[in-house]
Amino acid sequence: MSNIAVSLQNLTLAYGDTIAVPSLNLDIIDGELIALLGPSGCGKTTTMRAIAGLMKPRSGTILIDGKDVTKTPANKRGVGLVFQSYALFPHLTGFENVAFGLRLKKRPNDEIVQRVEAGLELVGLSHLATRKPSELSGGQQQRLSLARSLVMEPKVLLLDEPLSNLDARLRLDMRTELQALQRQTGITMVFVTHDQSEALALADRIVLMKNGHIEQIGSPEALYDSPQTVFAADFVGFENIFSVGLNTQNEGTTIYNNTGELTLPYQANVSHLAWRPGGVVVGSGPHKGVVTGMAFAGDKREYVITTSAGKIKADVDVSVPAIQIGEDVFFDLPESSARMLDDKATQTQFKHG
Amino acid sequence: MFQNRTEGLALVLPAAVFIAVLFLFPVGILLSEGFKVGGEWSLAGYADFVSKPLNRTVFFRTLKLGFLVAFVSAIIGYATAFCIVNLEPAQRGRVFGLIILPLMISPVARTYAWIVILGRTGIVNKAIVGMGLSDSPIRFLFTETAVFIGLLQLFMPLMIVSLISAMENLPKDAIPAARVLGASWLQVFTKVILPLTREGLVLGGTLVFTGALTAYITPAILGGSKVLMLETLLYQRVNVSNDYVSAGIIATILIVMCFGANVVLRRVAKA
Amino acid sequence: MGQTWASRLIIFTTLLFLVGPFIIIIFAGLSAGSSLAFPPDGLSLKWYLAVFEVESFRQSFVLSMFLAVGGTLTALVIGVPAAYAICRYNIPGAETIKIIVAAPIIVPGIIVGLALLRYLVVPLEFTVTLALFLAHTALVLPYAVRVVSASLQNLRTDIEEAAVLLGCNRLQAFTKVILPNIRSGILAAFILGFVTSFNQVPVSLFLSGPGVRTLPIDMLAYMEITYDPSVAALSALLAFLSIGIVFIAEKTLGFSRYV
Ligand SMILES: Nc1ncnc2c1ncn2[C@@H]1O[C@H](COP(=O)(O)OP(=O)(O)O)[C@@H](O)[C@H]1O
Ligand SMILES: [Mg+2]
Repeated sequence: MSNIAVSLQNLTLAYGDTIAVPSLNLDIIDGELIALLGPSGCGKTTTMRAIAGLMKPRSGTILIDGKDVTKTPANKRGVGLVFQSYALFPHLTGFENVAFGLRLKKRPNDEIVQRVEAGLELVGLSHLATRKPSELSGGQQQRLSLARSLVMEPKVLLLDEPLSNLDARLRLDMRTELQALQRQTGITMVFVTHDQSEALALADRIVLMKNGHIEQIGSPEALYDSPQTVFAADFVGFENIFSVGLNTQNEGTTIYNNTGELTLPYQANVSHLAWRPGGVVVGSGPHKGVVTGMAFAGDKREYVITTSAGKIKADVDVSVPAIQIGEDVFFDLPESSARMLDDKATQTQFKHG
Repeated sequence: MFQNRTEGLALVLPAAVFIAVLFLFPVGILLSEGFKVGGEWSLAGYADFVSKPLNRTVFFRTLKLGFLVAFVSAIIGYATAFCIVNLEPAQRGRVFGLIILPLMISPVARTYAWIVILGRTGIVNKAIVGMGLSDSPIRFLFTETAVFIGLLQLFMPLMIVSLISAMENLPKDAIPAARVLGASWLQVFTKVILPLTREGLVLGGTLVFTGALTAYITPAILGGSKVLMLETLLYQRVNVSNDYVSAGIIATILIVMCFGANVVLRRVAKA
Repeated sequence: MGQTWASRLIIFTTLLFLVGPFIIIIFAGLSAGSSLAFPPDGLSLKWYLAVFEVESFRQSFVLSMFLAVGGTLTALVIGVPAAYAICRYNIPGAETIKIIVAAPIIVPGIIVGLALLRYLVVPLEFTVTLALFLAHTALVLPYAVRVVSASLQNLRTDIEEAAVLLGCNRLQAFTKVILPNIRSGILAAFILGFVTSFNQVPVSLFLSGPGVRTLPIDMLAYMEITYDPSVAALSALLAFLSIGIVFIAEKTLGFSRYV
């Protein structure tokens, strides 16, 4: 058990009468960088706040390092939290913000100075130690907030959408820095994001959440390659998802949505089939459709093909000559690039139908 | 962290209890006195109160002065606020400071100044006699006019401040746009400024109206016993005739009018 | 051009009406004569100096100072937690509580003073000073709650949670993180409360007893007896005191945000 840093057991979290997270079970391994991924409102922040002790669970247990901390107050849990909005203290300088927790612990002054300086160094803010938060840029505030948590050497560091308030360039830089920091310090980190590419790029493991439930847990590769549910597939970029219907006439498979259907020449004994746009073959194949949309995206062209089973998104390499809008086109939905989803629980949903 | 309601209640409790005990409880009893005659519940006190001409005069005078002060404040307030908002920022700050400055000065001092101005030997009378407009000084003190002037000076800043903050929120181009579209200044006022500053007008109007209703010092100094208002009447009833039934009735009337003004005018602002 | 002149004239006239009387008071107090007049009969500082010689003025000034400072501080001590609870917690009956706490502003002061006197002070045999102290505290309390609430509302809630996660208990989080950030709001509330209490008349009218009067009440009483320029001089001095305090507050805190 010792390599499990945080364990959530049957954790139920509620705001008044609304249950935000019903009965969550999750083990976070010591030293890993784990992502809570899911659309806005799925309960990521709520889960974090419960781990930190800012919110009392309705029921269930939270273990940190094997100890039950469900009733332990937030200031005694040894959990760090980097807030989405950084929550820096406006009246204190950068240095004093970072020193805040150490001063509370009544550490000797020498030690405080040394640890704060090391912390600021780690996030590259040594030269801005005397500034107030309002005199720092968004990225600097974000790093200051990180340093403030890191110097406390928390057992677990929680980061709530740490990169969402930064602009695109900075976000990419900070991704790398965050990952490097985690490797360097070895602190168990849980970060929240609604951005699948961020989760895939950073995390050792991804917890995909939906409506307070865990939809799927796995490595970025596993989630990317083999989503288990319609929701997971949709979230990692399988934009063409079809329900599979019973086919009594021949050996093939009928896939359908609310506008029509299409019969594939192979069998699939699952509830849904899904393809990424890149997995659709355009220019040859047994099916015919009309190109109704085309967007140039540098290395590829993104087509929308209207078929008897609704709209299909397909990406084609730029080296292939462009097909004009309005032209008929043959295409294939090959078995090799299909993901078979056995997701009886999910009601058929058609994003592009 | 803030989910613990008992904790929250415990924090407001001292303030709430303090006010409830020192305020609501005694005021409540005072109001109830108006509904009692000789220890019995009765509306006879009210019937008696209404039957006296002086009481009616004072009531309507108070109401009239309240409306008048609010109305005149609004007219002068609009003109002044509009001019102030269009000043340059630095000048605007200074003028704004001068507008709110009287609010910080003791109302006794502010009212007292009018004795110097309006008294028998005050500047106004000196000027009138000096210019030969009248042989003897004119009586200004202890008239409704004096009370009106005193109240206007006391409460107008509240109206101006409310209107300034309402006008600061006016879209910058609304007035030029209306002018370009051919609106006259009167139309600009009724169609653009008035609707967009209505909430400020209502807030200012409430403050001025209730302020004037409940002012004591101004009617006491500038009106005396000749021009009684409800507050000075209440003081007299208690101090001169020990009449707590009347006191309870006047208190009820004042509170009802103040709350009424707050509620009604807030409705008007929302409508 | 014409418009600017018209606009200046309007502002000037309004200011003349609002501030002019105050200037007249200053000069009326400078009179060398013995009756209240403007323009004064010659100039001298004698009435300004005479104010300090009046024993009752000295006593009532001290009382008014005590009420303004003590009452406002007490109001802050119970008002700050209330404001904090109203802003941060989801308390049951919050709307009712807000109305209760705001009541002293809405209810006319003279009624409050009378009711307090008749139903609490007399039956419980409070001293005049205690009665005035309680009344002034209650009167200032709504301002304290309102002004402090305003500055709490401008403060993020998560910094307190951050402080707790760094090891603070709830009280430490409040004193180390909230208090320093609402300091100017509290100071503004103090000044507003001080000025309100110091200038207050109607509440104190019934509560003042023989020999124990607030300064404005004392001035009213003095005016009934004599019309000499000393009240003008005192009024001017008090006005300067208020203005001085507010001016300093404005320069250091931007006080007018809170009025
Ligand atoms: N303070 C609150 N009061 C009531 N409901 C809340 C509160 N905070 C969040 N919720 C609800 O709980 C659910 C989960 O919210 P949250 O954990 O913030 O989602 P996420 O961080 O994944 O976007 C949402 O449905 C949200 O509406
Ligand atoms: Mg969130």
